[in-house]
Amino acid sequence: MGIKVIHRHGNTFKEKMYISAVYNGMKTTLKHFTKNLSDTSNLQSVCYPELKPTDITSRYRGVHRLTHRKEDNSIACVACFMCATACPAECIEIVAKEREDSVDEKMPAIFNIDLLECIFCGYCVEACPCDAIRMDSGIFSVIADNREDFIYNKEKLLSIKCMEGEGFSRAK
Amino acid sequence: MNTFLILLPLILTMLFSLVTVPVLVWMERRVAALIQDRLGPNRCNVNGIRLGGLVQSVADMMKLVFKEEFLPTHIKNKFYHLVAPSIAFMSAFLTFMVIPYADNVIIGGHTYHMQALPIDLGVLWFLAFAGLGVYGIILGGWASHNKYAMIGSMRATAQVIGYEVAMGLSLVSILISYGTISLNEMVSYQTQNFFYLPAWGIVIQPVATIIFIVTAFAETNRAPFDAAEGESEIVAGYHTEYGAMKFGLYFVAEYIAMAASGALIVTMFLGGYQLPYLSTVDLINNFELILWIIIIFAIITSLVFIRWIKTHNVLVMSGLDETKIYTSLIIVFTIFTIIVMSYYALGYGGSNEVGVMILQFVVFTVKLFLLHFVFVWVRWTLPRFRYDQTQKLGWNILLPISLINIVFTAIIVVGVNYGN
Repeated sequence: MGIKVIHRHGNTFKEKMYISAVYNGMKTTLKHFTKNLSDTSNLQSVCYPELKPTDITSRYRGVHRLTHRKEDNSIACVACFMCATACPAECIEIVAKEREDSVDEKMPAIFNIDLLECIFCGYCVEACPCDAIRMDSGIFSVIADNREDFIYNKEKLLSIKCMEGEGFSRAK
Repeated sequence: MNTFLILLPLILTMLFSLVTVPVLVWMERRVAALIQDRLGPNRCNVNGIRLGGLVQSVADMMKLVFKEEFLPTHIKNKFYHLVAPSIAFMSAFLTFMVIPYADNVIIGGHTYHMQALPIDLGVLWFLAFAGLGVYGIILGGWASHNKYAMIGSMRATAQVIGYEVAMGLSLVSILISYGTISLNEMVSYQTQNFFYLPAWGIVIQPVATIIFIVTAFAETNRAPFDAAEGESEIVAGYHTEYGAMKFGLYFVAEYIAMAASGALIVTMFLGGYQLPYLSTVDLINNFELILWIIIIFAIITSLVFIRWIKTHNVLVMSGLDETKIYTSLIIVFTIFTIIVMSYYALGYGGSNEVGVMILQFVVFTVKLFLLHFVFVWVRWTLPRFRYDQTQKLGWNILLPISLINIVFTAIIVVGVNYGN
């Protein structure tokens, strides 16, 4: 068993004088100031409404979307209620109906997500057995004039595109 | 003309204490942003004119003025609660009255003082009102009837008691070496040379300078000594219960106090309104040459600034085209000043005294703003001192050093005078 001796800073005479530490700190900040004043193009700030962020990847949890099947481009969701059950914010409202085109047994008649209640945790994406709901749209800013417009219905969710690639459901 | 010269220092005091506050707030935010690799306020505009973000601090002040004045119901001493910010504001404002902005101007046998309050007790006036400013904080914290405000004002009290001693003692050594307590005479003293260096306070009394600057930071409750409003521990400290313009007065008072102690530091340690190696008489005698130098300097700085603004004003706002307006304004202003100055430089103007006064005033302003930059720079570099560290630094380090400094200064001054 070795004993690890932790060196405590701030007890030597030089450190208690503060002068050298203050000098070094001031030098660092002045360097940043002069560098940034002479050339502001190095700054990481994004002038947001005019310039959009470039570092959003498809793993970013943006606004949800409902995926399509690769075979016939129809809705992949089978209205199993897994996402609505997993949702901690209870923002997903599903009404199921029978599917008549013999692709599958069930599909949602209504699929509403209230984005004002949603906490963007991604549990619905984890829970979905059909890869029917995803959050890879890359949309980070949702704007509307009234509360009703924040409730995205089935058509709206189906119309949102994937950020990268075609984004069909990968379920077998 | 005579009335104007008498009123001029008063007007300058108003300008320095009230008009510089938005500029200081703007400077603080911009410098902080650039130090932290950000941009800072650059959105607020009047028809596309942003003045580099200066409009933002005007807008902030307007917001504070027009906010609702409310009084928490638990406050029993309403009078004290309301009067506290005014005390802080007023004493910060009055501190400025004794600062000399330029040397005494002698026109037609009359001597005009460039101090708003031409008394010889300048330093004592500063000490009195700088100390009184803290009473506003103490009273505000006590009248707020709130534990955070109370703790904040207690910290301010203890800090001021500790640092006022060191400040006074560092001033004593300065007074011994200058042999006067009149601020204007101190500045005149600093025109001499001290072994090829200008005899500024920072050269002849470096230890006292450092102590005074440190205690001035503590006295104005600015970082790194702003434990009184330590927002990480005690909400907002002494102004927790204050809103709208009552808070605004505290906010403005802090900046005026900073400006005032900065002005005093410039006056006592950085040569005041004097240029190094050039006394007022030299300036008056060689005014034409100095004007030519200023003309060259003005051309170079405006060219540099125009180039800078062309490459850096990237974000285009709707409304007027800022880059074009600023560039043309700078060109027009530079040409105007060159014409005016060359008129005087060619010797048609006469009365160099007023010109020298304006020059000295400009020198004072430049030095003051450099010092404000240092204040801001320190704030965004150093972390806040813990409360016990503040006390230890004040009582265990600064006080003994300033006492030793007094003894050494006294021995040297007496020795030098004895030899003479």
